[in-house]
Amino acid sequence: MEQLTDVLSAISHPTRRAIIRRLAKGPARFLDIAEPFDVALNAVTKHLKLLARAGLIAREKRGREVFISLRPEGLRLVADWVHEYERFWNASLDVFEGHFRQQTRSKKS
Amino acid sequence: MSNAKTIEIRVERTIPASPSDVFDGWLNPKTPGTPWSMAEKLILNPVVDGLFYWAISGTAHYGRFSHVERSERIQHTWMSPNTSGLESTVTVTFKKKGKDTVMTLVHSGLPDTDGGRSHEKGWNYFLDGFLSQLTKSAAT
Repeated sequence: MEQLTDVLSAISHPTRRAIIRRLAKGPARFLDIAEPFDVALNAVTKHLKLLARAGLIAREKRGREVFISLRPEGLRLVADWVHEYERFWNASLDVFEGHFRQQTRSKKS
Repeated sequence: MSNAKTIEIRVERTIPASPSDVFDGWLNPKTPGTPWSMAEKLILNPVVDGLFYWAISGTAHYGRFSHVERSERIQHTWMSPNTSGLESTVTVTFKKKGKDTVMTLVHSGLPDTDGGRSHEKGWNYFLDGFLSQLTKSAAT
């Protein structure tokens, strides 16, 4: 349960979710991870520390460079924690809300 | 009488429309995102004691409407293979908030079994966006 709390905390920030999405494509160097974000490198370091504490990333030295990779196993805790119907209703209401937002945009244009 | 442990799921969205439009949209099978819109076979009679039946990929869902109050509240029972024989309850409320409507859906009486929980198939879905919804609701 403690790791689930760490994982939920780690994925609660949009920057950290963006980092997870980036690393889902494959391992990357620190500066490559930091590059898309308009924040100080220190801030990225802190985000990576939280992801590491949750067990969601690992560092691997290759020659002179350090690559950071995703360890998605921790996300399974979240997947297992979520009820099938929670996924179902969230997805349904996302589409329902999107339909009305599209209608509103169409009326304005 | 079942002693099965049950849970309640609560999902909320702010919809840019009036409560009456959102209410009507929710009961219209042509509106994307409603359970009825996904049905391959649908019978829907949204009045008190009216019944619904919808099936998707061979899985049937049944229920009985117990409360239908336009612009305010819809409540019906919900049974499917995923409710393990239990009659769960879906309650949808509509609250005006400025020009928008806060729509709250509560699904209660769901069996808290492993079968009801998502496993492998949640993966890509999570990374594609649900994760943000989950954490948004977890943070409140």
